[in-house]
Amino acid sequence: MIGNDIVDLRLAAIQSDWRRSGWLQKIFTLQERERIITAIYPDQMVWKLWSMKEAVYKAHQRRFFLKPKYNPRDYVCLDDMVTIDSYVYHTQTEVSKNYIHTIAQAIPTRKFRSQISMTKQVAARSILLSYLYTKGITDITFVKNEVNIPCIMRNNKKIDFQFSITHHGAFSAFVIES
Amino acid sequence: MTKEELISKLKTIITPYVENKDALGDITEETDFIKDLEINSANLVDVVLDVEDEFGIEIDNDAMEKMLTIKASVAIIQDKLAI
Repeated sequence: MIGNDIVDLRLAAIQSDWRRSGWLQKIFTLQERERIITAIYPDQMVWKLWSMKEAVYKAHQRRFFLKPKYNPRDYVCLDDMVTIDSYVYHTQTEVSKNYIHTIAQAIPTRKFRSQISMTKQVAARSILLSYLYTKGITDITFVKNEVNIPCIMRNNKKIDFQFSITHHGAFSAFVIES
Repeated sequence: MTKEELISKLKTIITPYVENKDALGDITEETDFIKDLEINSANLVDVVLDVEDEFGIEIDNDAMEKMLTIKASVAIIQDKLAI
Protein backbone atom coordinates (compact mmCIF):
# COMPACT_ATOMS: atom_id res chain seq x y z
CA MET A 1 0.00 0.00 0.00
CA ILE A 2 1.30 3.40 -0.95
CA GLY A 3 0.54 7.11 -0.46
CA ASN A 4 2.16 10.41 -1.30
CA ASP A 5 1.81 14.06 -0.45
CA ILE A 6 3.32 17.24 -1.83
CA VAL A 7 3.53 20.64 -0.15
CA ASP A 8 4.20 23.79 -2.15
CA LEU A 9 6.32 25.64 0.40
CA ARG A 10 5.62 29.09 -0.97
CA LEU A 11 1.87 28.53 -0.89
CA ALA A 12 2.02 26.87 2.54
CA ALA A 13 3.73 29.98 3.94
CA ILE A 14 0.81 32.09 2.69
CA GLN A 15 -2.00 29.64 3.52
CA SER A 16 -1.02 28.61 7.02
CA ASP A 17 0.31 30.45 10.02
CA TRP A 18 1.65 27.48 11.98
CA ARG A 19 2.88 29.82 14.71
CA ARG A 20 -0.72 30.66 15.53
CA SER A 21 -1.57 29.74 19.11
CA GLY A 22 -2.86 26.16 19.34
CA TRP A 23 -2.07 25.25 15.72
CA LEU A 24 0.85 22.90 16.34
CA GLN A 25 -0.85 21.31 19.35
CA LYS A 26 -3.84 20.22 17.27
CA ILE A 27 -1.68 18.37 14.74
CA PHE A 28 1.56 17.31 16.36
CA THR A 29 2.51 15.24 19.39
CA LEU A 30 4.78 16.71 22.04
CA GLN A 31 7.82 14.91 20.59
CA GLU A 32 7.01 16.17 17.10
CA ARG A 33 6.65 19.72 18.40
CA GLU A 34 10.05 19.43 20.01
CA ARG A 35 11.47 18.25 16.71
CA ILE A 36 9.97 21.34 15.07
CA ILE A 37 11.09 23.96 17.56
CA THR A 38 14.63 22.58 17.78
CA ALA A 39 15.00 22.25 14.01
CA ILE A 40 17.39 24.53 12.15
CA TYR A 41 14.58 25.27 9.69
CA PRO A 42 11.33 24.96 11.67
CA ASP A 43 9.13 25.82 8.66
CA GLN A 44 10.65 22.98 6.70
CA MET A 45 10.19 20.58 9.61
CA VAL A 46 6.53 21.53 10.06
CA TRP A 47 5.77 20.68 6.44
CA LYS A 48 7.98 17.62 6.37
CA LEU A 49 6.14 16.08 9.33
CA TRP A 50 2.80 17.21 7.91
CA SER A 51 3.50 15.60 4.53
CA MET A 52 4.61 12.38 6.29
CA LYS A 53 1.30 12.27 8.15
CA GLU A 54 -0.71 13.03 5.02
CA ALA A 55 1.10 10.47 2.85
CA VAL A 56 0.60 7.78 5.49
CA TYR A 57 -3.04 8.81 5.98
CA LYS A 58 -3.64 8.22 2.26
CA ALA A 59 -1.93 4.82 2.27
CA HIS A 60 -3.75 3.78 5.44
CA GLN A 61 -7.18 4.94 4.20
CA ARG A 62 -6.71 3.04 0.95
CA ARG A 63 -5.44 -0.06 2.73
CA PHE A 64 -8.41 -0.38 5.06
CA PHE A 65 -11.06 1.36 3.00
CA LEU A 66 -11.59 3.93 5.73
CA LYS A 67 -14.01 6.81 5.75
CA PRO A 68 -12.43 10.29 5.75
CA LYS A 69 -11.33 11.36 9.20
CA TYR A 70 -9.39 14.39 10.41
CA ASN A 71 -6.99 12.94 12.92
CA PRO A 72 -3.46 14.09 12.04
CA ARG A 73 -2.28 13.80 15.63
CA ASP A 74 -2.98 10.05 15.66
CA TYR A 75 -0.30 9.63 13.00
CA VAL A 76 2.89 9.63 15.01
CA CYS A 77 6.21 10.41 13.31
CA LEU A 78 9.32 8.70 14.64
CA ASP A 79 12.38 9.43 12.51
CA ASP A 80 11.18 8.43 9.05
CA MET A 81 8.54 6.05 10.28
CA VAL A 82 4.92 6.84 11.05
CA THR A 83 2.66 4.77 13.23
CA ILE A 84 -1.12 4.77 13.29
CA ASP A 85 -2.84 2.56 15.83
CA SER A 86 -0.69 -0.58 15.67
CA TYR A 87 0.46 -0.12 12.07
CA VAL A 88 3.85 1.09 10.93
CA TYR A 89 4.61 2.87 7.65
CA HIS A 90 7.94 3.81 6.13
CA THR A 91 8.39 7.17 4.50
CA GLN A 92 10.87 8.87 2.17
CA THR A 93 10.82 12.64 2.00
CA GLU A 94 12.42 14.83 -0.61
CA VAL A 95 13.01 18.35 0.63
CA SER A 96 13.74 20.96 -2.01
CA LYS A 97 13.74 24.72 -1.96
CA ASN A 98 10.20 24.94 -3.34
CA TYR A 99 8.45 21.78 -2.27
CA ILE A 100 8.41 18.85 0.13
CA HIS A 101 7.30 15.48 -1.19
CA THR A 102 6.77 12.37 0.92
CA ILE A 103 6.12 8.81 -0.22
CA ALA A 104 4.76 6.38 2.37
CA GLN A 105 4.68 2.59 2.11
CA ALA A 106 3.43 -0.19 4.29
CA ILE A 107 6.01 -2.56 2.80
CA PRO A 108 9.17 -0.57 2.07
CA THR A 109 10.73 -3.24 -0.18
CA ARG A 110 8.03 -2.81 -2.86
CA LYS A 111 9.31 -0.99 -5.91
CA PHE A 112 7.54 2.15 -7.00
CA ARG A 113 7.67 4.86 -9.60
CA SER A 114 7.09 8.48 -8.71
CA GLN A 115 7.08 11.71 -10.66
CA ILE A 116 6.68 15.36 -9.72
CA SER A 117 5.57 18.03 -12.13
CA MET A 118 5.15 21.75 -11.94
CA THR A 119 1.63 22.13 -13.21
CA LYS A 120 -1.76 23.08 -11.91
CA GLN A 121 -4.20 20.66 -10.28
CA VAL A 122 -5.90 17.92 -12.38
CA ALA A 123 -2.50 17.35 -14.00
CA ALA A 124 -1.46 14.80 -11.38
CA ARG A 125 -3.88 12.47 -13.13
CA SER A 126 -2.60 13.33 -16.59
CA ILE A 127 1.02 12.68 -15.71
CA LEU A 128 0.03 9.32 -14.25
CA LEU A 129 -1.98 8.60 -17.41
CA SER A 130 0.98 9.37 -19.65
CA TYR A 131 3.22 7.21 -17.50
CA LEU A 132 0.79 4.29 -17.80
CA TYR A 133 0.56 4.94 -21.55
CA THR A 134 4.31 4.44 -21.88
CA LYS A 135 3.79 1.07 -20.18
CA GLY A 136 1.20 0.15 -22.80
CA ILE A 137 -1.71 0.65 -20.43
CA THR A 138 -4.39 2.68 -22.17
CA ASP A 139 -8.16 3.23 -22.09
CA ILE A 140 -8.23 4.07 -18.44
CA THR A 141 -10.50 6.28 -16.42
CA PHE A 142 -10.34 7.45 -12.84
CA VAL A 143 -13.22 6.96 -10.48
CA LYS A 144 -13.63 7.63 -6.81
CA ASN A 145 -14.93 4.82 -4.66
CA GLU A 146 -17.54 5.18 -1.92
CA VAL A 147 -15.00 6.47 0.59
CA ASN A 148 -13.65 9.01 -1.91
CA ILE A 149 -10.43 7.19 -2.75
CA PRO A 150 -9.43 7.37 -6.44
CA CYS A 151 -9.27 4.08 -8.37
CA ILE A 152 -8.28 3.21 -11.94
CA MET A 153 -10.85 1.57 -14.24
CA ARG A 154 -10.16 -0.18 -17.54
CA ASN A 155 -12.99 -1.54 -19.67
CA ASN A 156 -15.33 -0.96 -16.75
CA LYS A 157 -13.23 -3.11 -14.49
CA LYS A 158 -11.32 -1.84 -11.51
CA ILE A 159 -7.61 -2.56 -11.85
CA ASP A 160 -5.73 -3.26 -8.72
CA PHE A 161 -3.02 -0.60 -9.06
CA GLN A 162 -1.68 0.78 -5.85
CA PHE A 163 -1.20 4.45 -6.52
CA SER A 164 -1.67 7.88 -5.04
CA ILE A 165 -1.90 11.34 -6.54
CA THR A 166 -1.35 14.69 -4.87
CA HIS A 167 -1.28 18.36 -5.74
CA HIS A 168 -0.70 21.60 -3.91
CA GLY A 169 -0.16 25.02 -5.44
CA ALA A 170 2.25 24.80 -8.35
CA PHE A 171 3.09 21.12 -7.86
CA SER A 172 1.57 17.77 -8.71
CA ALA A 173 2.92 14.29 -8.10
CA PHE A 174 2.00 10.65 -8.29
CA VAL A 175 3.41 7.41 -7.00
CA ILE A 176 2.53 3.95 -8.25
CA GLU A 177 3.74 0.57 -7.05
CA SER A 178 5.21 -1.45 -9.90
CA MET B 1 -28.74 30.06 18.94
CA THR B 2 -30.74 28.50 16.13
CA LYS B 3 -29.22 26.03 13.73
CA GLU B 4 -29.54 28.59 10.92
CA GLU B 5 -27.61 31.20 12.93
CA LEU B 6 -24.98 28.62 13.71
CA ILE B 7 -24.58 27.62 10.05
CA SER B 8 -24.33 31.25 9.04
CA LYS B 9 -21.56 31.88 11.62
CA LEU B 10 -19.79 28.74 10.45
CA LYS B 11 -20.02 29.91 6.86
CA THR B 12 -18.32 33.18 7.78
CA ILE B 13 -15.55 31.23 9.52
CA ILE B 14 -14.81 28.87 6.64
CA THR B 15 -15.09 31.40 3.78
CA PRO B 16 -11.46 32.63 3.86
CA TYR B 17 -10.19 29.03 3.53
CA VAL B 18 -12.50 27.95 0.70
CA GLU B 19 -10.70 27.36 -2.62
CA ASN B 20 -13.84 26.56 -4.59
CA LYS B 21 -15.62 29.88 -4.08
CA ASP B 22 -18.38 28.88 -6.52
CA ALA B 23 -19.54 26.23 -4.07
CA LEU B 24 -20.08 28.84 -1.33
CA GLY B 25 -23.41 29.80 -2.83
CA ASP B 26 -25.04 26.43 -2.32
CA ILE B 27 -23.88 25.34 1.08
CA THR B 28 -26.13 22.77 2.70
CA GLU B 29 -25.71 20.63 5.81
CA GLU B 30 -24.22 17.91 3.61
CA THR B 31 -21.45 20.14 2.27
CA ASP B 32 -18.04 18.54 2.69
CA PHE B 33 -15.18 20.91 3.55
CA ILE B 34 -12.53 19.11 1.50
CA LYS B 35 -14.53 17.43 -1.27
CA ASP B 36 -16.97 20.25 -2.06
CA LEU B 37 -15.32 23.44 -0.82
CA GLU B 38 -11.75 22.29 -1.50
CA ILE B 39 -10.47 23.62 1.79
CA ASN B 40 -6.80 22.67 2.12
CA SER B 41 -6.46 19.97 4.77
CA ALA B 42 -3.87 22.00 6.69
CA ASN B 43 -6.43 24.84 6.91
CA LEU B 44 -8.98 22.61 8.65
CA VAL B 45 -6.96 23.25 11.81
CA ASP B 46 -7.62 26.95 11.34
CA VAL B 47 -11.34 26.25 10.97
CA VAL B 48 -11.23 24.29 14.24
CA LEU B 49 -9.31 27.06 16.03
CA ASP B 50 -11.63 29.77 14.66
CA VAL B 51 -14.67 27.79 15.81
CA GLU B 52 -13.12 27.49 19.28
CA ASP B 53 -12.56 31.26 19.43
CA GLU B 54 -15.94 32.24 18.00
CA PHE B 55 -18.01 29.98 20.25
CA GLY B 56 -15.74 29.88 23.31
CA ILE B 57 -15.58 26.08 23.24
CA GLU B 58 -12.80 23.53 23.20
CA ILE B 59 -12.69 21.03 20.39
CA ASP B 60 -10.87 17.90 21.50
CA ASN B 61 -9.27 15.31 19.24
CA ASP B 62 -12.34 13.08 19.12
CA ALA B 63 -14.51 15.96 17.97
CA MET B 64 -11.94 17.32 15.55
CA GLU B 65 -11.65 14.08 13.63
CA LYS B 66 -15.32 14.38 12.63
CA MET B 67 -15.24 18.04 11.59
CA LEU B 68 -15.29 17.44 7.85
CA THR B 69 -18.80 18.60 6.99
CA ILE B 70 -21.19 21.40 7.94
CA LYS B 71 -23.52 18.87 9.55
CA ALA B 72 -20.85 17.28 11.75
CA SER B 73 -19.49 20.68 12.77
CA VAL B 74 -22.93 21.98 13.75
CA ALA B 75 -23.55 18.86 15.85
CA ILE B 76 -20.19 19.28 17.60
CA ILE B 77 -20.71 22.98 18.33
CA GLN B 78 -24.25 22.35 19.63
CA ASP B 79 -22.96 19.54 21.79
CA LYS B 80 -20.13 21.62 23.30
CA LEU B 81 -22.40 24.64 23.86
CA ALA B 82 -24.92 22.51 25.73
CA ILE B 83 -22.45 21.59 28.48
